[in-house]
Amino acid sequence: METKVKSIEDVVFGEELPVYLPDTSLKKSAEFASLVGWEGARFSNHEKAKEEGLAGAMMPGILNQAYFSAMIHRWAPNSTLLSIDTIFRAPVIADQEYSMQATVTDIDEDQRIIEIDLIMSNQKKETRVLGTARIGL
Amino acid sequence: MILDLHTHSIKSDDGRAKVENYCQWIRAKEIPIDGFVLTEHRQFDTSSDYSTLARKYDLLILKGSEVETEYGHVLIFGVSETLTKRIDFTRVDLPLKDVLELSLACDAIAVPCHPGRPKVGMFAHTDRLGLPEGVEIVETRNGGSRDDEDQIALRNAALHKYRGIGGSDSHIVSHIGRCATKFTREISSMKALVKELKIGNFEAVSFK
Amino acid sequence: MIADIERLQEKYLNKDFDVKNFLIEAETTVRFAWLSGETHPKFIDTDHPDFQAPPTFVGSLAGSRILPSDFPRFGVGMDAGKSVECFAPVRPGDEIIGKSHLHEIYAKTGRSGRMIFIVTRIEFYDKKENHLANSDSRIVIAERQHGN
Repeated sequence: METKVKSIEDVVFGEELPVYLPDTSLKKSAEFASLVGWEGARFSNHEKAKEEGLAGAMMPGILNQAYFSAMIHRWAPNSTLLSIDTIFRAPVIADQEYSMQATVTDIDEDQRIIEIDLIMSNQKKETRVLGTARIGL
Repeated sequence: MILDLHTHSIKSDDGRAKVENYCQWIRAKEIPIDGFVLTEHRQFDTSSDYSTLARKYDLLILKGSEVETEYGHVLIFGVSETLTKRIDFTRVDLPLKDVLELSLACDAIAVPCHPGRPKVGMFAHTDRLGLPEGVEIVETRNGGSRDDEDQIALRNAALHKYRGIGGSDSHIVSHIGRCATKFTREISSMKALVKELKIGNFEAVSFK
Repeated sequence: MIADIERLQEKYLNKDFDVKNFLIEAETTVRFAWLSGETHPKFIDTDHPDFQAPPTFVGSLAGSRILPSDFPRFGVGMDAGKSVECFAPVRPGDEIIGKSHLHEIYAKTGRSGRMIFIVTRIEFYDKKENHLANSDSRIVIAERQHGN
């Protein structure tokens, strides 16, 4: 069973969170896009997205950001996300495999705040989403 | 001596790394570099003093710049107040010729970075604009470039007999040191770095 | 056209251009949580004593417009990034207010050529004017050449 982080004292500088393999299925991604009001075919239909010059239907950037948030909460369920900043460097295409990595890069025991690097990459190890998060613990 | 010649901190608009965290990361993960150069985008950071951090972590921490020209992005090592008065670092359309010449005139050196990338890399523009005069070094190993982009850089550098440096182009802490430059001599200052770059005793290395 | 960044900054930065009310509905926040893989009960169980929207939920709330109505149109915008700062939980059932302003405008060259970056910030407040969160949308616009 996965160990959950309970307090800042459990965290080690440079620690890697368990790698997260997000559900990139078009069905789920398109449902999320619709939920947040992004109705365009570029989020729901591979063929139509290709007609727009994309490699396929894109996953909404905010879904990938939300996946990072979920990844952090799975690792540290009682943490509070203070901020998350994600840079979308290239489209993330639905129905393709991606992995999400996160690494602890700062521990402020006085403020009880941790900073985490976030990277979402494709199978070729090319970074697609890059970011950082600050959490209170 | 191995130095990462291309890094960004929170001083850059898209940088998310604090300099102390870079230092901690290098030591905690035993990254095989002896220091790094902060090359913030379109500026020269005159306000920050990293000497205390450098001593604390026994690392060389130097400051340069990354500026933008019609041939793409260019690193400048040895930036002085005089140079910042002669080049408007904030512009995104600097003439590469001016950057190369004015840098040399001010005891600095300019190095086109990630030259294999589209748009921001020098070799993406040489067909249209011609091969620029005055380039002697390019960044052949860049931690943020794709492998095929580094291959374009390496191939063209060999073709035109440019020497190659390496840098991670890190914007987040965990990316520092992915590429770097190995020097044959010890370097302890920006002046010494510029001198070694001009002499040419170095090679690009990758730890990707 | 080469946009005059300084002129744009002077005219538009830090000036509210949109105010919009949002009713936060539990059904939507729970679905958001499920679809994004949140498993903590406080995000998915409406009976949880600390039931709240997932922290990145505010990033999905869009104002009436992304840019000021008179902001020059010099290219097609793309989603370059999203940042959320959380100061207090957003509770389903609450009505919150989003105030939009342009937070940053700058130019740089990227893999797609010369780009203008615009950061639109929405500040979210509750009815008592407590600042709950900020959501920054980073839009990148490939600058058109020759004034087209």
